[in-house]
Amino acid sequence: MIDFSIYDKQEPKIYGYKCPKCGTAYYPATMLCAKCSNRRDPSGIVHPDWDKFSLEGPCKLLTWTRVWALPEGYDRPYLLFGIVEFPNGLRAAGQLETENPVTGMDLVAHVKESSERPGPPVNVFVFSDD
Amino acid sequence: MTARVGIVGIGQIKFGNLSEYDLVDIMAYTATDALIDAGILENRRIIDQIFVANMLGGMINHQTGIASALVSRLDLEPTAAELVENGPASGASAVKLGYMAIASGIANVVMVVGGETMRKVTGWEATDCVATLGHPEAEYDMGLTFPALGGMFARLYMERYGVTERDLALVAVKDHENGSKNKYAHIDGTCTIEAIHDSPNAHVVNNYVAEPLRLFSVCPVSDGAAVLILVNMDSPIVEKFKKKPIRIAGIGSATDTHCMHNRKDPVEMGAVKLSAERAYAMAGVKPEDISFAELHDPFVILELAISEEVGLFPRGKAVEALRRGETGIDGRLPINTSGGLKAKGHPVGATGVSQVVELVRQLRGKAEKGRQVKDPRYGMSVNFGGLANNVITIICAKD
Amino acid sequence: MAIDALEMKLRPPEISLTPYPSKTITLANGKTMVVREAKREECGVLLGTVYPLLGVPTDYYDVVAARMFSELLAWFRYRIANEFVIVGAIDGVIAGIVTSRCVNDHLGMSLHTLAIDRGLRVGAQLFAAKMEHHMDYLNEDEVWIVAESPIGFRRWMIEYELEDRSSGFPNIRHELGGVPTYALTRKLWEKHKADKCTGTRPVPMDILATADRLKLPEEYPQIPGYKRSKQ
Repeated sequence: MIDFSIYDKQEPKIYGYKCPKCGTAYYPATMLCAKCSNRRDPSGIVHPDWDKFSLEGPCKLLTWTRVWALPEGYDRPYLLFGIVEFPNGLRAAGQLETENPVTGMDLVAHVKESSERPGPPVNVFVFSDD
Repeated sequence: MTARVGIVGIGQIKFGNLSEYDLVDIMAYTATDALIDAGILENRRIIDQIFVANMLGGMINHQTGIASALVSRLDLEPTAAELVENGPASGASAVKLGYMAIASGIANVVMVVGGETMRKVTGWEATDCVATLGHPEAEYDMGLTFPALGGMFARLYMERYGVTERDLALVAVKDHENGSKNKYAHIDGTCTIEAIHDSPNAHVVNNYVAEPLRLFSVCPVSDGAAVLILVNMDSPIVEKFKKKPIRIAGIGSATDTHCMHNRKDPVEMGAVKLSAERAYAMAGVKPEDISFAELHDPFVILELAISEEVGLFPRGKAVEALRRGETGIDGRLPINTSGGLKAKGHPVGATGVSQVVELVRQLRGKAEKGRQVKDPRYGMSVNFGGLANNVITIICAKD
Repeated sequence: MAIDALEMKLRPPEISLTPYPSKTITLANGKTMVVREAKREECGVLLGTVYPLLGVPTDYYDVVAARMFSELLAWFRYRIANEFVIVGAIDGVIAGIVTSRCVNDHLGMSLHTLAIDRGLRVGAQLFAAKMEHHMDYLNEDEVWIVAESPIGFRRWMIEYELEDRSSGFPNIRHELGGVPTYALTRKLWEKHKADKCTGTRPVPMDILATADRLKLPEEYPQIPGYKRSKQ
């Protein structure tokens, strides 16, 4: 049977990966589990690929910056970036959309597709107030 | 018993905008200066191995196989030559590999050449190229650049240890004071604390780049090259060189997580600490034996943070030493006597080599008037291959 | 001197423009830059400053220098209406020049910005001074701006978030022609001026006196090894 859902519009997602042997979670994906040395095969052909889970939702802001010198492709005066920690202990870096960032504040992680960087569109974390 | 390795020749070109010249020509020109300094220009085939350090030649200059190109430019066939790429630590890595070649007995004389031409493209393209050091999905795709990572590191460090923007400006004033006397430095001018922090104009004159880092908290984009000639000090071949070798006493290197956000504590730089410990152990010295240091400061906050990780100051206390003037040229422990990356410039592949060139100039007693450290015995350099995820520490000694 | 009738026909009608009040800016190296309006009788030293850059293609210095040279000469010879020139001087030596003109009470037309000294944000400061004059002293509503070089584009179009008026072409067309027109509106100026425009007024007499007689720069970072001819 053909899975026609692959032709539907996909909601952009960013995934964490879980070692199927010991359950340790990783973001971004690794190739060897630090805890049990289990290997990952992204093709899933020779060895099983790992389970992935969507990273989104409530998180805490660990640090942030407002960058005025943006690289090629960005046509705005500045961009806010931050590093957050999710309740499961995983951390991520991404763009901030909040007026007055403060270290330690609670935010919500979303994912959007962005074409600002040269090259094909990529999925980007956006941490916002809600 | 491995052979002792010493530096018998140095060369450096004034860092700056060399974009109208070819990358390999710049490297060859600077290498010629080093050959002359070592007294082996005519007898240059005494070199049996060349390591070339370069990070962005493929991306910016559309050039690969740079080591091979350099061999012919210097009429050095059939000398063995390889390119070393370790991000902005390519230079120190090339020195490390040069050391290993001699210590292992494979070579007796090694030339280490670091070079980069970043100004052949715009500043935004150069920033984008350097950003490829980050994790492709978790950092680069997010739009993060190294100033962004530096800004986030700076905020965390400053909040934790009470470092202020004025302190960042003090580092810049010191770096430029040193750099203005360094004939190889990119930036000739000095800056005053009044102009870049205290005056009502300062917020515009010294505008934000990646808050809390300002224009005078970040290094310029530079072109340049630096060269070292290494020799086996235990071989009779050392007699062929005019100058007394400056010994490489210790080298240490270590890595940490690729993504800055995955460090246990993003403010702590475990790779810096470990690489320094390894270098101290090899050299048989302790932090208190270090006379001066060249620390990797593309963002001036890193000068403070690295000096603590390598044990020169207790954690959180480097800023107090800065405020007391201890890290100035006349202070107890001069740091970044060359001007650091901030004032000397940062042609990424050349930086690690230029740090060791500075160690040699100081240990030889041949730095310019006004920036010569008094009676130095041990000098240390720390070179980053990313934001503290790949670090190499080198200690040189005046025996 | 009596201006004959034909000359009067050739001169454009002029609005009497409010003078730009001088200010000082402390640059990063601790030196003081006096920012003041230039006088027509100083045209010689301004032209002499711009002239060496006519042969420097990097960063579009040649185009900017060539166009500014003509703007200065036209201003001097009364062949361009309502132009003003602001100069930045350090110890009397010219560090940068900006040219601009008023189309009418409401609209300014920014011409060029040329910085000799580099690494001190002289160009950025003088561009801001130009905008300050249009908006805060001449009380115009908006200024049209174009950029020849990518650095200029980045500095102004992105940092000031200038409005893109290129869709209004050809009815909206900057006098310099050929490149897309952007506009600084009053709203954008009020939003950005605190971060972009600075300076201390009034200028003490002794400091203003240092910029009384403008001097030609002896060195040009854009031209390594430059030596001014003593002819």
